[in-house]
Formats: sequence, C-alpha cells, structure tokens
Amino acid sequence: MTADTTSKAPLTPRIGRIAKRGKAAGGKGPRYAKAGYLFVAPFMIAFTAMFLVPLLYAAWFSLFREQMIGGNVFVGLENYTRAFTDPLLLEGLGRVALFFLLQVPLMLAFALLFALALDSGLLRLAKTVRLGIFLPYAVPSVVAALMWGFLYGPDFGPIAQLADRIGATAPDFLGADLMLGSIANIVFWEFTGYNMILLYAALRAIPTELYEAASVDGAGAWRTAWSIKIPLLRPAIVLCSIFSIIGSFQLFNEPSVMRTLAPNVIVADYTPNLYAYNLAFVGQEYNYAAAVSFVLGFVIMAGSYVFMLATNRRSRS
Amino acid sequence: MNPRFRRRTGLGAALASPLAFTACGRTPVQPPEHVSQAEIDEAMHTPTELDFWTWVPGIEKQVALFEEAYPDITVDVTNAAQGAGHYAKIRTALRAGRGAPDVAQVEFQLVPSFSITNHLLDLRPYGAGELEDRFVDWVWAQVTGANGEVWAIPQDTGPLGMLYRTDLFEAHGIEVPETWEAFADAARALHEADPEVYLTNFPPSQGAFFSASLWQAGADPFGGSDGPDLKVDLTSEAAQRVTSYWADLVAEGVVSTDPDFSDQWYQAANRGKYATWLTAAWGPVFLQDTAASTSGKWRAAPLPQWEAGSQVSGNWGGSTSAVFNITEHPIQAAVFAQFINTDPESTKAMATEQYLFPPTKALLEDPEFTGLELEFYGGQRVNEVFAQISETVSPEFQWSPFQDQVYADYGATVGTAIAEGADAVAALQDWQDRIAEYAEFQGFTVEES
Amino acid sequence: MSATTPDAGRRPRRAKRSTLLTVAMLVAVLYFLLPLFWLFVASTKSSADLFSTFGLWFAGENGLFTNIGNTFTQDDGVFARWLGNTLLYAVASAAGGAVLAALGGYGFAKYRFKGNQAMFMGVLGAMAVPSTALAIPTYLLFSQAGLVDTPWAIILPSMASHPFGLYFMRIYADSAVPDSLIESGRIDGAGEFRIFFQVTGRLLTPAIATVLLFMLVQTWNNYFLPLIMLNDPDLYPITVGLANWQGQASASGGASGDLVPLVVTGSLVSVLPLIVAFLFLQRYWTTGLVSGSVKQ
Repeated sequence: MTADTTSKAPLTPRIGRIAKRGKAAGGKGPRYAKAGYLFVAPFMIAFTAMFLVPLLYAAWFSLFREQMIGGNVFVGLENYTRAFTDPLLLEGLGRVALFFLLQVPLMLAFALLFALALDSGLLRLAKTVRLGIFLPYAVPSVVAALMWGFLYGPDFGPIAQLADRIGATAPDFLGADLMLGSIANIVFWEFTGYNMILLYAALRAIPTELYEAASVDGAGAWRTAWSIKIPLLRPAIVLCSIFSIIGSFQLFNEPSVMRTLAPNVIVADYTPNLYAYNLAFVGQEYNYAAAVSFVLGFVIMAGSYVFMLATNRRSRS
Repeated sequence: MNPRFRRRTGLGAALASPLAFTACGRTPVQPPEHVSQAEIDEAMHTPTELDFWTWVPGIEKQVALFEEAYPDITVDVTNAAQGAGHYAKIRTALRAGRGAPDVAQVEFQLVPSFSITNHLLDLRPYGAGELEDRFVDWVWAQVTGANGEVWAIPQDTGPLGMLYRTDLFEAHGIEVPETWEAFADAARALHEADPEVYLTNFPPSQGAFFSASLWQAGADPFGGSDGPDLKVDLTSEAAQRVTSYWADLVAEGVVSTDPDFSDQWYQAANRGKYATWLTAAWGPVFLQDTAASTSGKWRAAPLPQWEAGSQVSGNWGGSTSAVFNITEHPIQAAVFAQFINTDPESTKAMATEQYLFPPTKALLEDPEFTGLELEFYGGQRVNEVFAQISETVSPEFQWSPFQDQVYADYGATVGTAIAEGADAVAALQDWQDRIAEYAEFQGFTVEES
Repeated sequence: MSATTPDAGRRPRRAKRSTLLTVAMLVAVLYFLLPLFWLFVASTKSSADLFSTFGLWFAGENGLFTNIGNTFTQDDGVFARWLGNTLLYAVASAAGGAVLAALGGYGFAKYRFKGNQAMFMGVLGAMAVPSTALAIPTYLLFSQAGLVDTPWAIILPSMASHPFGLYFMRIYADSAVPDSLIESGRIDGAGEFRIFFQVTGRLLTPAIATVLLFMLVQTWNNYFLPLIMLNDPDLYPITVGLANWQGQASASGGASGDLVPLVVTGSLVSVLPLIVAFLFLQRYWTTGLVSGSVKQ
C-alpha cells in the first residue's frame, strides 16, 4: 500500500517486550558485547549504506533549492516553511487522514473478526478460509489496483454490467465522491488477510490455561473472545494500527494506478506521497520533494507516537 | 577522437555537496564553431556505440538503415518507458551525470525544458543549420532557440484536424461544421436526437489538446519569453474564448468528458459514443487500429474555425530526436539524429510504415504519401487533408520551459473546472497563478499580463 | 519451546462446528477471491471479448493458451526475462536479507552492548520516512557507485531496507533461544559464532523460513525501486515490465499490437508463483509466525 511496501512484513505481537526487557540477555560484560556488535554489524552496515546514508543525504539535499535559472541555492529551512503552509500538501494530508479514519478501523475490525473465527474452532474448512483471505497479500499492489480498476469500470466492468442487467445504474466508483472509498476497498482487499494472520498468530500464542479456566466457568465462544482474547490482543492490535498509520499516510501505488482511469479526480497532489513524487519527477523540484517527504515522515512519527500514548493511557486507567 | 569532445570525469568527491551532483557535476560538450567534413568522416569511421531511447515501435528499421550507411556505428535502441516515465528517467540520469542516452526521442513541447537546463547539444556545427529548408516553417520554429541554435531534429508532427462519423452525421442530418459555432449547434442537435451519442468528447485532463486549441485560437501564452524572462498570459481573450466554449458545452451536457486513451474511451469509440474525434495527424491511423469495428464510417476534415472562412490550426504532439551534451560521441550522435529524420528512405518508412506524420516538405508534397487512400475512411485521401492543414498551422506559438508542469497544473485547475462545471474562466487565473509561482521558485523573472 | 503447527490440536475442542459461521466466512472468502477469479477469466479472453462480454464468466472461446503464448513471445520473449529477473531479485534479496536479519536479530536479542536499544529503535523509526524521499538521493549515490541499471541496485537495498525482518528475528530469538543453551556452549569452550552456527541458529529455522518468504513477496511485488533504478527493459522485473506494457497499451491503443490481454495474462502469470509458494509453504510460515510468540 506504500511505495515500497515496507509495511508488508512479518511480526509477532510482542512489541511490549522490546521496550521493557527486564530479563538479562545471554551475554554480559565487555567480552560478549564485542560478539554482539559483530552479530549486528552486517545488518547495521547494510542498513547504513542502503538506507541511512541516502536518508541523511536526502535531509541535506532538502536544504537547497535547485533552480532552472540560477542553479543551486542554499535555502536552509525554507523548503520546510513552504511545506507547512503549502495548501496542496495540507489538503493531501487531510485526505489520507480521512482515509485512515475510514479504512483502518473497518479493516482491523474485520481482520480481528476473521482471526477470532479461525481461532474459535467453530469453523469448518478453516485452512481454506485462512488461505483464501490471506491470498491477496501475494498480489502486487499495482496488479491489485489494475484488477479493481477493471471491476469498477463504468461501462465494461462486471459490477456495472450486473447493475445494467437488473435495470439499475451502478454507482460511479471512479467519480470524485466515491474515489476515496474505492481506493479504501482495494487496500482493504489487499491487507485484511495480512492483519488477520498477524492477529491470528497472536491469538494462538495466548496460553491455553486461560481458556480452560473460562470454559470451566461455562463461558461460550463469544464471551471468551470478548472478555479474554480481545484484551490480550491489545498489543497486537496497537501494532497493526501503527503499521496502518504508516501505510495510510504513505498511500501511493493504488492512487497512482487509478490516476490513469480518473485523471481529474486523482490530481497530482491527491496523497502527500503522490505529491512528492510529482514534485520530483514532473516539476523537477527535487529538493522540495525531499522536504515534503520528511514532513510526511514527521507527521507519521508524531501520529504513531500520539496513538501509542493514547492507547497506553487508556489501558492504564 | 577529438580531445575537445572528451568528457571530463570530475565525479570523484562529488558526495561532498549536492552542488556537485547538479550543475557543476560535470562538464558537458562545448560545441565548436564548426566541425569540418574531415572530422565528421573520421568520427563516422570510428567504431562507436550510441544509446538511443525512444518509444516509437519499429524504429529498428530506421536504425538498420543508419547502420547500413555507417557500418562502424552501432545503435542500441531502448524503450524504457513512454511519455512522462521516459523523461523522468532521462532527467534523473542527466542529473547523475551518467547512464543518460546519447540521443533520445523528445516531444516538441519538452525540447525547451531540456535546453533551458543546458542539457542539449546545439546541432548547428554538425550540419543541422542547413536543414532548415527541408522542414515546414512552423515545425522548424519549434526546435530552434532564441539565438538560432538547433536543439533537435523534427521527427513527426500532429497538425490538428477533425475525424467524424459520416454515418452518424447523415443519420441525423448534420452538416460537417466549418465553424465552432456550427459545431456547438451540431453538438446540441445530435445529443438531443440520440442521448447515447455525443458530437465529441472533451478530455478534461488532456493539456496537450487544450494547448493545441489555444494555438488555433491565436493565443500564445508564453510568447516572448526569453531564457530567464518568462511571460505568462493564460487569461487572454483567445484563451477565455476557448475555455468558455468547452465549459459551456460540457455544462449543457452535450459533450462527454471521458479521459482519453483510457479503456473506457477506446470502448466508447468502438461503440459509436463519439461522432467526432478532434485529433492530430497521427490520429487517423491510430483510430483505424483501435476502432477497427467502425471501418468505412469515418472521414477527415479540417478543424472548425473561430472565424468563418479562415483556415488556421494548431499542433498536438509529434516528436524530435535530440542529442544530450553529455554524449561522448557528439559527431556520431548528431549525424544519427539527422540521418533518421532526413534520409529519404528512412523518413518515407516513418510516414508509410510507422504512420508518423512527416514534418519534411518533400514528403508532404510526395504524391505517393498524399495520394494514399485509406479504406477505413471510405477511400479518402486522409494524408492530403492533413498535409493541407499542416500548411495552416501558425508559427507563432512558443512553449514554456516546463510544459509538463503546465499540463499538470492545467488538469488540476481549468480541466477540473470544466469537467465539474465550476467557473472555468476563473480557473484560468488559478492556472496562471500556479505557473507564475512555480516559475518564480525556478528562478524565472515572471511577467504576467 | 513448542513449535506446534497452528491446527495441530493445541487445545481440546469441545465446541460444535458452526455452519452459520462457516457460511459467513465462505462469503468473505468469495469477496477476497473474486478479483483473482476475474483475472483468471479475463486471461482467457481476447481483447474484444474482454470489454464486450460479462466480466465474471468465460466467453465462448478459450484463449488462455493463445494469450500465454503471446505474452511469452511479445518483444522477443522479454516476459520470460522479466520473470527470471524477478526470481533472481526476489531470491537473492530474500536470502541475503534473511541472513542479515537472523544474525542481527540474534545479536540484538541475546547480547547487551552499548547502543543496542538505540540502534534497534532507530532502525524501526526509519520506516516512517516514505521512500519517495530516498528515490533521488539513492539514485544519485548508486549512480556514483556504478550500481544504477544493474541487478545490485535492486538486490542490495531490498536486503537491508525492510526493518521488519530484523524486528521479527529479534522477538523470535528472544523467546526461542534459551540463555542456558548459550551458557552451556560457552562452558564447553565454544566461541560465540560457533555456538550460533552449530547450536542456537538452528532454533531460528522456522523464523528464517518466515522472513525468507515474506521478503520474497516484498521484493517480488516491489515496483517503485526498480522503476527508479532501472532503465534497461532487459533488467526489469515483472511489475515494471507490465506497467510499461500497460503504458504502451494505453498510449497507442491497438497501434502497437494488442497489449491489453498481455497485461492481464502477464499479471496472472506473475501472481501464480507466489500463490503456489504460499500454498506449499503454508505449514512453514504459519509455524514461524505462531511459534515466535509461543514461549512466555
């Protein structure tokens, strides 16, 4: 769902443990510290070369403005002050925020529902169901958007054809009013299964004794789910939400494919990421594009942080 | 190889500053005053590999002719992407200072965007100055700079005309409109007679078509711009006339607004949703392949006119071959760019096999080309129609130095306003404001009128 | 640690199977498979049928094999090259990435050293910055290193710029590798790396398989990076190649051959290997995911 699909990655729901690992790890003292550095060195070197250096370079780059006339000028933070007051960027940020509010709760609710159903033991064909829902994750987002673009097609798409057959008119999925929802559906289709698998894995990790106690008390499957499983899933849900914040705010591939179908609805600044791309590759404003990307990065970090704070506070109270 | 053309590779410590990656990162070829025939002969007998980026299908034919004429030169053809993706790749490679092609296909409207950033090789010293007489005037004007530089060699053009469905016209008693007024009346009459059919489709994000329309109406929004001085006039009377004309027809609902070259648009053309396609000279053969099911029903005519009795048109599309000044082989690249676009056999193949509409006077007057009768158009000599239109294109039209940005801003302002029934004439001012702001960020001195 | 497969009766089932729930879930599955079904149906059609017949059912003639044949012969068989490239990029970056992640995750989980926490959080935080910010700088840097337009421009960044492999391995190693095992290795006088390669590393196998598979999917489906880094169509992976065909199809209509069915069929062919991989490796990746969090 993002430009580089970083959010498509495995994890288990134990985020809480990283922050407060009380237990002593295997190695202590300087002797073992050296081995620790050696173990992490290959990753850190590769990460530094492939990610950190370009990142720092981009940050440096964002302090300049290269002009067609007059060449390269050092402008300090001017690109950033411009970004914070750029109506096109703010509009795009508003749009992806709305997208997040519309799409993510629904996607996670369904993912949770599916995971609980799989875990409940009430289901026949559980394996088939699990694979069927997860399968869209294997489809490149470019191909996914292409397929849905066909399905949405106003004249030749099967939805329009069906509606036509029963004498109705299909809604204009590619029109200005429904476009955001149409994109939300594509993202829902791609990532519900992924989130379901993560939540399902977390569910399987809940110790059996807790269930046994509940079933001795005579609690039914739904009550067990509501009062035992969901509270225990909180860290996993928080993590999925944070990935979804990143995914939503970095939305790029889907709108970029849909743009060819509805160029007047999906304008160049439809999402901040699309805006940054067009600034760089159409307008040749490479430096400003880098600044816009960093602003987007800050917004995502701030958003994730606020979200974590909010959920932590609520869990304490 | 002449040491003057040697590429300097001062890229070593380029990391130190972003400056190093940009303007100062490398030294492009400084074209000499004149290159002697002896130097050219020597270069053309030196084994050389040239990189040529283009998305013209079947261009290998022209390349083969060149390689036959100059057996020591090999040309690698790359189709990396079309349109915007093609230019994005070229620009990033040019910025990096390596990996860019020697020669590339560049559409007319983007030639200035590469010359303003000093990326093009002036082809005059390599014999291109003498080619002026071979090309149609308005075409040559598109590739030459303010000081007479020749920035690229024209490959094909797209004077704007009209293709229409003679069967639909006859069925509803519509005369071929010669003025825009008559065209508007016909649009209303036709849509009323058959609500499934529109006289034409106005693609609201197609900046290139809109520019061509402005061109025809006599607007020259960037006329008089020179280097760092940019003139912008998108609110002229002519621009307002074109804008309100289309905005009104769309608002009345008698013209459709599908995005062109989309699946939906292809299907609609096949189904007979549009009774005309206002298109360029490359359109007729294109339509013949994409709307094969409507063969025999189409005819070609000149564009409707703003003033009865006059004959003027604009241009939509067409490409050139340009040489980038980072090339290590300027002579070979320049000769190649000239050869494929001027060699009689090569240009003839372009016109008759690849159906690129020719910019050379010789071909436009060649009876074999103009006399071609197309079955799809009921045996009409379509090339002749467009060859005549080509003569009516005004040479008074100047591109901005960042025409892709101009098109993008058009789609976001005027195009959207027309499609959504907002005040499109007011949107012309938004369009101009966006461009002026952009230009100022790019260091231009902007003069609005 | 118990590396049970998720369906191997982890707990006694007393609940009756629910038909209602099963049916509801099957309806959901239908929604998720519908576009893939459309893709399959569309791959059997000619361009004309694609737009004129009902999208969710087959047209009269089965053109699947014609379409597949055309896909593989278009442009001198460049599609097979794209498929091969995709495989190379995906396998190389997944293998390299899994090794880096396994070593690093193990190091972060099992060793205390200065900067451990800071480095780890830094890696995770870096993913908030969108890759558009990195496109141009990475291109310029890679260009200086002569890597642009080579397979390395895809493989190297794909190996290290997805921090989740590292994150997952750390969590997994944390719970799956008992400290006592490392201690006993040390008592036997083995070096830290020997302990890893001969003893503890093996416990990470399910996690390595999982990371491998997920990184395979990521690189297989990556579009943005190769779009920026590669200019030679012979080096394109399927995603960029198909997008190029798609662009050609819409820019030229039928003028350069009928590309629309090729884009559709090519999409189907590109998705199939991953679906097959998921089907056959299902046992491994679900094991890896689940058992990573089993131990308390």
